[in-house]
Amino acid sequence: MSNFIQVIFSSLEIGSIYALASIGIILIYQTSKMTNFAQGAIGMYSAYMATVFMRGTGISATLATIVGMAFGLVLGFAIDLLIMRRAKNASPVTLQIITLGIVLFLTGLAPLTFGAVPLAFPRFIENKSIEILGASILYNGILNIFIGFIVVALLFFALQRTKWGLAVRVTAANPTAAKVMGVPTKKVTMGTWAIAASLGALSALMLAPNTVVDVGMMEGVQLSALIACVLGGFQTFFGPVLGAYILAIVRNLFGFYISSTWGTALTYSVILIFIIFKPNGLIGKKKIKKV
Amino acid sequence: MEKKLKSRFNLLENVYINYILIGILFLIAIPLNQAGIIGGSVLITLGSVILYSVVGIGMNILLGYAGLITLGGAGFMGLAAYLSAYFTRDLNMPFLFSLIFSVGIPIIIGIGIGLISLRLGGYYLAIATLGIGEVLKQVFIEYDVFTGGFSGKSAGYINLFGLQFDRIGTYALYAVILIFALIIGHNIVNSATGRAFMTMRSSEAAAQAMGIRMLKYKVLAFVIATIYSTIGGIMYMHLIKFSFPTTWGLGMSLNFLSIVVIGGMKAIAGPVVGALFVIAFPDLVLKNIPIIGTSPGVAYIFNGVLIVVVLLFYNRGLIKIFTDAKVLIKKLIGGK
Repeated sequence: MSNFIQVIFSSLEIGSIYALASIGIILIYQTSKMTNFAQGAIGMYSAYMATVFMRGTGISATLATIVGMAFGLVLGFAIDLLIMRRAKNASPVTLQIITLGIVLFLTGLAPLTFGAVPLAFPRFIENKSIEILGASILYNGILNIFIGFIVVALLFFALQRTKWGLAVRVTAANPTAAKVMGVPTKKVTMGTWAIAASLGALSALMLAPNTVVDVGMMEGVQLSALIACVLGGFQTFFGPVLGAYILAIVRNLFGFYISSTWGTALTYSVILIFIIFKPNGLIGKKKIKKV
Repeated sequence: MEKKLKSRFNLLENVYINYILIGILFLIAIPLNQAGIIGGSVLITLGSVILYSVVGIGMNILLGYAGLITLGGAGFMGLAAYLSAYFTRDLNMPFLFSLIFSVGIPIIIGIGIGLISLRLGGYYLAIATLGIGEVLKQVFIEYDVFTGGFSGKSAGYINLFGLQFDRIGTYALYAVILIFALIIGHNIVNSATGRAFMTMRSSEAAAQAMGIRMLKYKVLAFVIATIYSTIGGIMYMHLIKFSFPTTWGLGMSLNFLSIVVIGGMKAIAGPVVGALFVIAFPDLVLKNIPIIGTSPGVAYIFNGVLIVVVLLFYNRGLIKIFTDAKVLIKKLIGGK
C-alpha cells in the first residue's frame, strides 16, 4: 500500500510538470494552429539562466524561479516577434519545422553560453518529508503538486472569466472573424507565446532538483507533454492537462508493477494503439474537413 | 544546325546526366585522397554526406512530395544498421542475404506507421512517429544480445560476392548508390505515384475525390521512405563500422529534417546540398574556427539558424540558388 501511495504521489508531481508544459503547447496550438516542439528547449534555456543567475547573486531558489519565468516570458515574446510573426502564411508542418530549428539553436547555444558541465538547482523546500499512509513524501513534492494544480486552475479561471481569456478563446475559434471584430489577435498570439514559454521555464525549474540542469533535461518532458496533448486531444484546453496526469500515472504504475525498463516504451505503445482507435483523443471533438 | 547546337547544350539540362555528374563529383575525392591532398577522415565525412543524402531523398519524397512528416526516421535507420551488423558479423551471412532481411524487417514496421498515418493528420503524425522512434531507441538499449547495448556494436566493410571492399572501394560504391538513389527518386516523383503524392499533399479530401486511394499511397510513401532510410542505415554501419543506441535518437531525425528543408523540399537533388551543409560544413569548416569551433554546440546553432532563415526567406531551399543565379546572370547579360 505504501508503495502504491508513493507511486501515485510521484506521478502527480511529474504529472504537474507535464501539465504545465502541455498547457503551454496547447495555448500556442489553439491560437497559432501549430505544435510547438521548442517548449522543452525554451524551458531548458530559461532554467540555465535562472541557475546561473542564482549562483551569481546568491538569491533563493524561489526568487531564481521568478527570474527564470521572467526570462522565459521575454524569450517567448522574442520568438513570436522575430520569427513566428513573419511566418504567418506557412503551412502547419513548416511552422512545426521552424520550432524544431529553434530547438536546434537553443540546444547549441546552451553549452556555448553556460558551459558543458551540468548544474544543480536546489529544491524549494529542502529535505523535509511527511508520512502519508506509510509512504514518505517530500514537502517539495507536495508543493510541486500544488503549484501544478494552482497554475492550471488560475489559467482556466483566466481563460473563462477575463477579457484576455475571451480574446484567446475567440482567436482559437476563428482567427479571421476575431480580427474583423477588433480582437488584437497579434497581441493575443504574442501573449500566449510569452505565457507558454514562461510555463515551460516553471516546469523546467520544478523538474531541475530531481535531475540536473543540462541540455537534455527537458527532452523527456517535451515528448511526454506532446503525447499528453495527443492523448487528451488538441481541441480543448482541458484535454492535455488530463492527458498529462493520466500519462504520468500510467507510466509510473507500469514502471513499478510491470517492468522498470520497459514501462515507458509500453506506455507509449498503449497510447499509440489508443489513438489509432480514437484519433481525436480522450475528450476531443471530431474535426469536420472542408475541401 | 542551330537546333543541333541547342540539343548539345541541352545535355546539361538532362536531369539524369546531372545526377550522374553529382556522383562523379563525389568520386573526384578518391584521386585527391590518393594524391594526399585530402585526408582519410575527409573521405569518411564525404561518405557520410552520401549516406545522409540517400536517407534525405527518401525523407524528401515523404515530406516534400507526400506532405507526411516523420520524426522516427533515425529509429528505422538504426534498426537496419543493427540488423545488418548482426547478420553479417554474428551470423556470418552473405551480405546480399543480410541486405534482404535488413531492409525487409523495417518495412513491415513502416507499413504499420503508414496505417497509423491514415488516422492521424499532420501534427499528430509527427508526435506519433516521435514516440515510435523513442520505443525503438529503448529496444536498442535494452536488447543487448542483438545490439551490444551501451557498449555498441561493430561491423566490417562490405563483402560482396567474396570481394572485400576497403575504405576507398566502399566510398566509390556509395557514390554509385547515390546516383541510383537520385535517379530512382526522380522516376518515382515523376510517375503517376508521384503525382498522386503531390495531390495528397495539397488536399487529402480533394485527392480522395479524384479517386486517389489514401490507404495505398500513404502506406507506399512510408514504405519508400523506409527503404531509403534502411539502405542509409546499412551504409552507415559499414562505413562508420560502429553504432551506439544513442546515435539513433531525435537528434539524428532532426538532422534529416534539416537536410531536407535546407537543401530544398520538392527537389530530388536537394538533400545532397542539404547534407553538404548539415554534415560536411560543420565537420570540415566550422571545426577549424578558433575558440568557438571546439564547442559541440556550434553545428547545432548553424543548422538551427539555417532552418529558420531558409524557411522564412527562401523556402524552396538552397538548391534553388543555382537556378536563381542563372536567371539573374541571364537577366544581367540579356538586359531584360
